[in-house]
Amino acid sequence: MATPSLPPPDPQFVLRGTQAAIHALHFCRGTPAQGHPLLLSGSMSGLVHIWSLQTRRALATLDGHRGQCVTWLQMLPHGHQLLSQGRDLRLCLWDLVEGRHTVTDSVLLTNVSFCRSAVLAGAQPRWMLAVPGRGTEEVEILEMPSKTSVCTLKPEAGAKPGMPMCLKLWQQADSSSRPCLLAGYEDGSVALWDVSERKVCSRMTCHPEPVMALDFDSQKARGVSGSAEKALAVWSLDEQQALKACRNYELTNPGIADITIRPDRKLLATAGWDHRVRLFHWRTMKPLAVLDFHTSAVHCVAFASDGLLAAGSGDQRISVWSLYRRT
Amino acid sequence: MAVFDTPQEAFGFLRPVCVQLTKAQTVENVEHLQAQLRAVGDSALQELQQYVLFPLRFALKTPGPKRERLLQSVVECLTSVLSATCVKDPGLLQELFSELSACLYSPASQKPAALSEELKLAVIRALSTLMHSAYGDIILAFYQPALLPRLGFAVSLLLDLTEQEKSKEIKTAAVHCLQVLLLQCECGDHPRSLDESEQMELGDLFASFLPGISTALTRVITGDFKQGHSTVVSSLRLFHKTVGFIMADEQLRRISGAQAMPAVEQRVAELMIHRKADWVKNTGAKLALLLKRIIECVSIHPHWKVRLELVELVETLLVKCGQSLVESASPLLKALVSLVNDESPQVQVRCSKTLRHLADQQVVVGSRAFTDILSENLHSLATSLPRLMNSQDDQGKFSTLSLLLGYLKLLGPKVNLVLHSMAHLQRLSKALIQVLELDVTDVKVVEERRWHTHELSASPEAPATARPWNHVQRRYFRFFTDERVFLLLRQICQLLGCYGNLYLLVDHFLELYRESVVYRKQAAMILNELVIGAAGLEVVVEGLYAKSPQASPEDLRDSITAVLEEYTSQENWYLVTCIEAEEMGGEFTVQPPGLPAITSGAHTCQVASFQAGSKPSPTICTMNSNIWQICIQLEGIGHLAYALGQDFRLLLMSALYPTLEKAGDQSLLISQAAMGAMMDMCLACGYDSLQHLINDNSDYLVNGISLNLRHLAQHPHTPKVLEVMLRNSDASLLPLVADVVQDVLATLDQFHDTRAASFVGVLHALLAALAQWYPATGQPPEQSVGQEDSHWSRRATLEKGPAATTATTTTTTSITAEDLEQFVLNYLKEKEAAEGNVSDVDDEEEAPSVPPEADESDRRPDMEPPLPPQTQIAKDVMERCIHLLSDKNLKIRLQVLDVLDLCVVVLQSHKNQLLPLAHRAWPSLVHRLTNDDPLAVLRAFKVLRTLGGQCGDFLRSRFCKDVLPKLASSLVTQAPVSARAGPVYSHTLAFKLQLAVLQGLGPLCESLDLGEGDLNKVAGACLIYLSAKQPVKLQEAARSVFLHLMKVDPDSTWLVLRERHCPELLTPPHSSLCPVRLLGAPGQQSPFTANVLHLLQELP
Repeated sequence: MATPSLPPPDPQFVLRGTQAAIHALHFCRGTPAQGHPLLLSGSMSGLVHIWSLQTRRALATLDGHRGQCVTWLQMLPHGHQLLSQGRDLRLCLWDLVEGRHTVTDSVLLTNVSFCRSAVLAGAQPRWMLAVPGRGTEEVEILEMPSKTSVCTLKPEAGAKPGMPMCLKLWQQADSSSRPCLLAGYEDGSVALWDVSERKVCSRMTCHPEPVMALDFDSQKARGVSGSAEKALAVWSLDEQQALKACRNYELTNPGIADITIRPDRKLLATAGWDHRVRLFHWRTMKPLAVLDFHTSAVHCVAFASDGLLAAGSGDQRISVWSLYRRT
Repeated sequence: MAVFDTPQEAFGFLRPVCVQLTKAQTVENVEHLQAQLRAVGDSALQELQQYVLFPLRFALKTPGPKRERLLQSVVECLTSVLSATCVKDPGLLQELFSELSACLYSPASQKPAALSEELKLAVIRALSTLMHSAYGDIILAFYQPALLPRLGFAVSLLLDLTEQEKSKEIKTAAVHCLQVLLLQCECGDHPRSLDESEQMELGDLFASFLPGISTALTRVITGDFKQGHSTVVSSLRLFHKTVGFIMADEQLRRISGAQAMPAVEQRVAELMIHRKADWVKNTGAKLALLLKRIIECVSIHPHWKVRLELVELVETLLVKCGQSLVESASPLLKALVSLVNDESPQVQVRCSKTLRHLADQQVVVGSRAFTDILSENLHSLATSLPRLMNSQDDQGKFSTLSLLLGYLKLLGPKVNLVLHSMAHLQRLSKALIQVLELDVTDVKVVEERRWHTHELSASPEAPATARPWNHVQRRYFRFFTDERVFLLLRQICQLLGCYGNLYLLVDHFLELYRESVVYRKQAAMILNELVIGAAGLEVVVEGLYAKSPQASPEDLRDSITAVLEEYTSQENWYLVTCIEAEEMGGEFTVQPPGLPAITSGAHTCQVASFQAGSKPSPTICTMNSNIWQICIQLEGIGHLAYALGQDFRLLLMSALYPTLEKAGDQSLLISQAAMGAMMDMCLACGYDSLQHLINDNSDYLVNGISLNLRHLAQHPHTPKVLEVMLRNSDASLLPLVADVVQDVLATLDQFHDTRAASFVGVLHALLAALAQWYPATGQPPEQSVGQEDSHWSRRATLEKGPAATTATTTTTTSITAEDLEQFVLNYLKEKEAAEGNVSDVDDEEEAPSVPPEADESDRRPDMEPPLPPQTQIAKDVMERCIHLLSDKNLKIRLQVLDVLDLCVVVLQSHKNQLLPLAHRAWPSLVHRLTNDDPLAVLRAFKVLRTLGGQCGDFLRSRFCKDVLPKLASSLVTQAPVSARAGPVYSHTLAFKLQLAVLQGLGPLCESLDLGEGDLNKVAGACLIYLSAKQPVKLQEAARSVFLHLMKVDPDSTWLVLRERHCPELLTPPHSSLCPVRLLGAPGQQSPFTANVLHLLQELP
C-alpha cells in the first residue's frame, strides 16, 4: 500500500435489509422526477432491490427469479428497462417506467453457468446481448428485443477452454465499429471474438485458474482479468487484434469475484473473496487502497457515473464508498 | 329653551339692557345682558348680532383704565354671543380680532399685559370662538397679506402666553387658539376645506411665523417635565401640524421659481416669505436642529401620551415632509423605531401601526434617500453597538437593541443593501457576537449529571408544546441579564434571516464559527435564529412586508445542510465536557487516533478529534463552554428541523445519530437539549413520538453505529446509542439489529479487555429487548408442561398418603394396611428416582432424545435448520457472557450475570442451544456463587433460579454437588449472626444475601425436583431461620422455603417440622404400629413454635 500507516476510510454509508447475500450491483440514473441516482442490487434470495441513494432506503423490490440468485443486472441506456439474470436460467427484461415493475420479456437460458451475460447497446432501439449458449463452451449472441439468435460462438475444434466464465461486449473504436466479445474461460484463457465474423481473433492464457471476472478499456485497448488465484492479469490488444499480456499483479489473497473500471477510466476496483475491495490506479496499476469492511466474500463491485463505488457481499450488506471523487 | 324666536320680540326684549349697558358699563349690566341673551333664540340673535355686540365692543374700547372684572365679563359675554352666531362681515371679524388681541397687550411695556389669569383665559377663548364663528369665505379674506402684521401680533402674543404663563389652562388654551388661528383646528366646525391654491397662499403666509412658532414651541416642549403633559402634547401637535402644513412636500413641489408676489405695501412685503428651494433648505436645517432637541427630550418623557404624540409627529412629518425635512428623517426614524418597544402598549401599537403605514406607503423603500439614511443609521448603530453594550445597563441595551430591531423592520428586504457591504456586515456581526457572549464560569453546568440512564426510554411524552423551540434553555450572558434583551437579539437575528441573503449570512457566520472558539457559541446561536427567520416561521415580523422570506426552499435546504454538517462534524461535536477518566469509568485508554487514508467527501471523519482531549486537563471554563456549545448546536438542530419541516427527514440520516448520542450524555444540560432537539425533529417530520422517530429511522442509526464501532476509540459513546435505539425499537427491526449485533460482538471481542463495560450495557439492552419482543410462546415449554402435569397428578395421588397420616391424628378412620403398603412402595420408587437413578424410571421424566426439528424430511441432511435470528443472537451473546463472567471488574461481572439471566429466558424454548451453553457457563457460575463478592452471589443466585426454572433436570445433580453444600453451610454460619443482629442488620449486604437465598431456594428446590437427601440439607439449613429470634423477613422467607418443600415432599417436611416442635403426642393409627417418638416434645415452648405451627397448618 502506498500509505500503509493510515487506516483505510470507512464507507460513506451501508445499505442493509436485503437479508441475503448480494451478488449483483448496478448504478443507474433515477427518473428525472426523482432526480437522484439509484442503485440496483440482486440478492441470493432472487430479489432485486432498488435503492434510493438519497434516502438510502429501498424504494422497491422486484421478485422475478423464483427465489434463485440474481447474478447480473444491467440497465439499458434507452428507456427504463432493466435486465436481470438469475440462476433460475432466466434473463428478465423489466419495465420500470413510471413506477411500473413488471417483467415485459424474458430469455430462457439453457445451460447452468456462472457466466454473467453482457450487453452492447447504443442509442438504437436494437441492441445486442451475449449469453452463455447451449453447449457448455458456447456463447450465444442475440439481437434484442426480437430475441433472434445472431450467432453462436463455438471455440474451434481442438481447443478445450471449458465454460465461458465472464463476457464483455464492446465495439471497436475505429470506423468499422465492429462488435467484439471478450470472454474469459474456465481454463484461465481470455479470448477475443469478432462477433460478425464469428471467429476468435486472439486467445491468450492469462491464469492457471478459471477467469472469474474481466473488464476492458476500449479506449486504451487494455483489459484486466482476475481469477481464483491471487493475481490480476493486465493485457492489451495490438493493432492486429492480438491479445498481449502486459503484466501480472500479485495480490495477498486469492480469489477475485468481480472487476470494474470506473467510467472515467482512472480507477479499477476488484471484489475479493478475502472480504476486501481493492482499488488500483488504472493507468499505472498502483494499488491505492484496500477497503476492509465486509465480513464475508465480496461478490460484486460497481461504479456510478459520478464516481461512487458500491460493493456487495455475502454478509448481506452493500457498502457505498465515496473515494477519489472529482471535486 | 329659547323664549324669543323672532328678531322683533328679541329686540324688544334686549333693547333696554343694551341701552343700559351703553350708558353704564358695569359688571351687573353685562351679567344682566348675558342672562337676557340666554332667552333669545340663535336665529334671532344672529339678526341682532351687530346690535348686541355694539355695547360690548363699546365697553371694550372705552379708553381709560378698565376694571378687569368688567373686561372679563364683557369678553365672556362676547364669547357667548359669538359662539351662538356667526360673523359674516370681514370687517367685523378684523375689528373684533384686533380689539380682542389688544386686550392682552400692554403697549407700555411692549409685552403681554399683566392681567388676571381669568381675563387672559377669557380673551383667548374669545379669540378662538371668534375664529370659529367666522362664516365661510370671509375667513380667507381675513388671511390676506395685508393683515399679516395683525395676525403676527396675535401669534406672538399667544406664543408668549404659552411660554410664560404659569397656568396650564392658559397655556393649553393659547396653544389651541394658535392652532385655530393657523387653521389647523381639528374640530369639525369648519365648513370647508381649502383647495390647493388657497393652501399655497396660506402656506406662504404662515411661513413667516414658522421661525417664531417653532422655536417658541420647542422651548415649551423641551421644558421641564413638571409642566404637565397636556401642554407638551398640544404643543407637539401644534408643532407638527404647523410644520407639516408649511413644509408639506405637496405644496413645495408646486412652487415655481417666479411666482407673482401679491401686491402689498412695502412694510408687509418685507414680512412675506416666498418658499423657494434655498429657503426650504435653510428652514429644513434649522428645523432639524429643533427636531433633534424635541426628540431627545420627548422620547424619554415619562408620560406615555407625550410619547404617543411624538409618534404622531414623526408620522406626520415623515409622510408629509419627507423631502423637505430629509435631514431630520434619520432622527425621526430613529425616534419612531426606538418607540416600537415602548413600555406603554398604546404607544407600541400606534408605533407599529405607523411603521406598517410607512412601509405600506413605501416611504422608506420607495425612496433611495430614506434607504440610505436607514443604512447609515444602521451602520453607525452597529459601529457603536459593541461600545454601547459594554457601557449601558440592561435598560439602555434594551432600547439600543430595540432601535436596531426597528431599523431592520423598516428596511425589510432592503437590508441586503447593508449586508452586501462587507464593512457593514462585519460590524453588525461583530456587535451581535460580542453581545451574545456567554458567561461560562458557572461550575454547576459541568457538575449537573444525568443519573438515570433510562430516562430517555422512560419519557415518551408527546411533543405537545406547539413551538418547542421557543423554549430555550436559560443562559447566562456576560453583558446582560435581562431576558428581554436576549429575546430582542433573537428577533434581530430572525429578521436578518428573513430578509437578508441567507447564503451570504450563513456563509459569513459559519466563517466566524470556524474562525475562533471565542465566537463559536455566539455564531451558532445566531445561525440558529437566522434559519428560523429564513423559514419565515416567526411572527415577530408582524407583516411589515410581505411575509415570504427571501430565501427559496432550495437555498434554505442547502444552507441548513451546510450548518448541520458543520455542527455535527467531528471537531465541533465531540468536545470534552467532563473529565475523561470519570466518563469512561477509569477504563479509558487512548487509542492513537487514525486519519483516514482518503478523505471522502461528505463523510470526513476522525480529523484529530482528540485535539481537545489531548490537553492535559481542560479547565472548568472550557468544559462549561463546551457544554454550552453542544447545547446550542443541539438546539440548532431542532431549529433546522423545524425550519425544514418534512424535508428534514432526508437529513435525519446525518442528524439523528449525533443527537441520540448526546441524549445519552452524562451532562444534564446536554441531554436535555438533545431531548429537545429530538422533540423538534419528531414534530417537524411528523412523528408522533420519540419512539416512532427512532424506530422509523433505525436504519440510519444502525449505519452510524456500525461505522462508528469500527473506530471505537474515537466514538466511545456508540454503544450507548445502540442501547437507546434498542429500547425504542420493536421486533420489526430484528434483521437490522441482528446485523449490527454482529458488529457489536466483533468489536467486543476486539476490545473485551478495555471497553467491556459499555458493551455489556448494550448486550443487556439487547437481550431485554429480545425477551420483550419474543415472549416465550409456550412458557413453560410444552414438553415440560406435560412433565409438570404428570408430575402433579402423581403428586396428588401420593399426597393422599401423608394427608391420611395426619388425618389420623384427629380422626382415627380406617386406613388399611394395603394403603400403607402401596404408599411405602411408591415412596421408595420416588426416592430412587429423586436420587438420580433414572435409568429405570419411566420416560416421562426424560426429555425426548430426538429433537423435533430433525424429522423434517425436506431438509438437507447435512444442514441444521437455521435458527431464528433472536435465538442466534442470544446464543452468540451468551457465549460472550461465559467469557466475561470472570472479568476483573465487579460491575461488569454483575451486569454480565444480568445478561446471562436474560439469555436463559430468551433461549428457554431452544433447549438444544441452551443446555450446551449452560454446561459451559456452569463452572464460572458456580465460581460466582461460591467464591465472589456477595453482590455477585446475589445475582448469580438469580441466574441460578432462572436456569433452574428452565432446565431443572440438567441442573439437579450439578446443583446438589457444586452449590448446595456451599449455600447450606453459608446459611448455617450466617444464622447466629442474623439472630443476634440489631435493626440495622437489614440494610447490610449479608442480610440481603440471606434473604435472597432463602427466597430463591424454595422455588429452586421445586423446579429442580431435588431428592430427599438434598431436601433435607435445604430443610436443615433453613430450619434455623424459623426461629423467632431471626429478623421477620428472614422468617418469612424461611417459611416460604418450607412451603415449597411441602410441595416437593410433604412427608419429610412434616417430619422435619415435627422434630423441631411437636404440638401434641401422636397416637399410632393402628395398634400394630409402635408410637412415634419425635425430638420435639409436645407442649414445650421454643423459639420455633410459632413458625412451625403456622407451617403445619399449611400442610394438607
